[in-house]
Amino acid sequence: MIWSNFIFVLLSSTLLWLLALVLYKKELLKRLFIILGITCIGAFIVFLWIKLERPPLRTLGETRLLYAFFLPVIGMITYMRWRYNWMLFYSLGLALLFLGINYIHPENYSKTLMPALQSPWFVPHVVVYIFAYAFLAASSLVAVRGLYQHYYKSLDRKVMLMADNLVYLGFAFLSLGLLFGALWAKEAWGHYWTWDPKETWAFITWLGYLIYIHRRYHMPNVFKSSLWILALAFVILLVCWFGVNYLPSAQFSVHTYS
Amino acid sequence: MFHSYLGKAQQIDFLLHSYLGKAQQIDFLFHSYLGKVKNDIKKIEFQKSNYIRHMSIKKPIWQQPWGYAESFTILFGILCIGFGFELVLPQTPSTLVFPINIILGSCLFVLIILYHFFFRKTKIHSFLSSIPLTISLISVLGILVIIMGILPQIPSGQNGLVQQLGFNQMTSSYPFLMINLFLLIILGFVSLKKTFPFKLKNWGFIFSHWGLWIVIFAGGLGSGDLRRLKMDVYEHKMEWRSYDEQNRYYEMPLAIKLNDFQIDEFNPKLAIVENESGELYEAQKPSMIMIEKGLVCDLQTWKVKVEEFYVTSGRAGNRYYKLSDFGAAPAAKVQVISAQNDTLKGWISCGSFNRPHESLKLNDELSLVMTVPEPKRFYSDVTFMTPDGKKRDVVLEVNKPVTVNGWKIYQLSYDDKMGRYSDKSILELVRDPWQPYVYLGVFMMMIGAIYMFWKGREAKIES
Ligand code: HEM
Repeated sequence: MIWSNFIFVLLSSTLLWLLALVLYKKELLKRLFIILGITCIGAFIVFLWIKLERPPLRTLGETRLLYAFFLPVIGMITYMRWRYNWMLFYSLGLALLFLGINYIHPENYSKTLMPALQSPWFVPHVVVYIFAYAFLAASSLVAVRGLYQHYYKSLDRKVMLMADNLVYLGFAFLSLGLLFGALWAKEAWGHYWTWDPKETWAFITWLGYLIYIHRRYHMPNVFKSSLWILALAFVILLVCWFGVNYLPSAQFSVHTYS
Repeated sequence: MFHSYLGKAQQIDFLLHSYLGKAQQIDFLFHSYLGKVKNDIKKIEFQKSNYIRHMSIKKPIWQQPWGYAESFTILFGILCIGFGFELVLPQTPSTLVFPINIILGSCLFVLIILYHFFFRKTKIHSFLSSIPLTISLISVLGILVIIMGILPQIPSGQNGLVQQLGFNQMTSSYPFLMINLFLLIILGFVSLKKTFPFKLKNWGFIFSHWGLWIVIFAGGLGSGDLRRLKMDVYEHKMEWRSYDEQNRYYEMPLAIKLNDFQIDEFNPKLAIVENESGELYEAQKPSMIMIEKGLVCDLQTWKVKVEEFYVTSGRAGNRYYKLSDFGAAPAAKVQVISAQNDTLKGWISCGSFNRPHESLKLNDELSLVMTVPEPKRFYSDVTFMTPDGKKRDVVLEVNKPVTVNGWKIYQLSYDDKMGRYSDKSILELVRDPWQPYVYLGVFMMMIGAIYMFWKGREAKIES
């Protein structure tokens, strides 16, 4: 059984990444352990690919494994560029969560995805969205802090810088998610965009952050309105995330798997 | 005498110089005052503009420079005209097809460029490429899309206000199309303004904005040229005609022969249904469990054991036998123990297009049934033939389209009544001549997004 070695991968990645967490002040060791952990997963994927004689993209378990590989990879790239420790460990934590789910539910290794989801675009589409949501959610937390400061103290400019940067990163990932989705839909069904309710709300979210970005570029010294736009954009993001299924339009969605 | 004259002259000279010095001093003072005054004026103007901005002292509307008030007013006007069209004009504006779309598109493009180069210095142009207009435009588009995101987008028989204003088919309503056209024009101005004169450091901006422009332009104009047809192919038969949604047939520049059609299925599932309504009984989750040989599981309050399971079988006498006939259906022998420890045994089967299904009655209200298996993977082994005499064998599968003679061919469906015994495969043939251009725009936007990730925002404010 190919998957029987999986427990070693899970254990070694967990161990390596825990070490990285403990040593998070020692740059070199931290990076080394994280990269080693990623390499373990990568090696397992290669092994699986060779054994199965096809890319491991067909079952639920296989796609989870790919998330667990690509999340820390992007987390690491982001870290190298921006030094957000929380993002790095968030991506590691999520990757371990996916590995853990795989370990607890071995039946997922054989549970085939519906044919439309067996696409090379599926994994990047999801991974990139996970990052977008994390950054945008973080930017909103910062915005709430900014609003609090604005009304009860005086606003620290650093807070605004932080919010802007998080939005830029989150927006970049969100755009990539939408674009990957469009390419995938074109390849799989022949149209880029069907205005399915989930897509529609993702697009509204995108517009919300687009407004924020342009507003900030235009008025770098005016804070209050921008902060409110950011807070509002997050409400839309939440609708997109959880609320879509409760809207009247959702009866016809292809994105409601649950 | 002479000396005294000389002395006077020197005196005069001295006086003259000291006056000159004074004059220079005065001049200097004057200039520094002038500088101060100029500075003060600048400060006052800055304070004034800040004041207007912060204290929201209102500039009268329609006085230059235009801002949000004017933007929203103009957009509101456009929306009103759009809704007026929607009420008065026939419902679906026909989409543009080749060559009209190319002609109109190039006219628009040339007009945008000409306008930009002739009116670049005017106030109205700087308004048309300003951020307040951009933000207003994106907000209005956002509101339309929110309406679309809330109301179901289906043509309905009713004729209320929602239908009359086109809210139930937003993407083809006049207001939506007009706002998009306006967005295209404005985005064109914005991008031109920042592209000429060309500065290398603007490359991120150029990729994201021109990318979006190309996507809207090519996607919008090209949608009318998209052909989407279906073709039914039967095993061992050749087909070269396909049909559209109105069931009109077209001859294709290629022929397709279906050599084999295959479906891999998941195993069927166990479920409990209500006898009277036939509806799924879902007191607890999971309400369905996939059957396997030797499976023992709890379904609602019953313990179910699968004693025998055949993927294909037929009934003979009082039991089922493994069989691979045409139409042979899955069947299972199950043992069911109820909460009261009553044991029931029997065969269940989901049947097929030519075999009856069979369920096991648990009590007066409920029965145990087997669901129809779901497809795991389906594919067609086909041969393409083109007029130039070329032949090509491929396997068509969902998500793995193949391009032949400008047509992209997708595995779409099959005869679902026949399930695994279907000898018909339904293919979709799509031709989209504008796709390369849309992809160009998409890839440019991706580069723009990566630029944003890499550049971030921090550097900009600090500098
Ligand atoms: C793909 C979507 C878009 C992205 C990612 C984006 C991003 C940006 C960014 C990052 C800037 C700052 C430019 C810089 O740093 O040099 C900017 C400026 C600007 N954007 Fe966008 N934008 C998008 C769409 C739009 C749209 C749809 C419009 C208008 C219809 C627009 C109008 C403008 C304008 C007017 C500026 C100011 C340019 C200037 O004069 O310096 N943008 N945009």
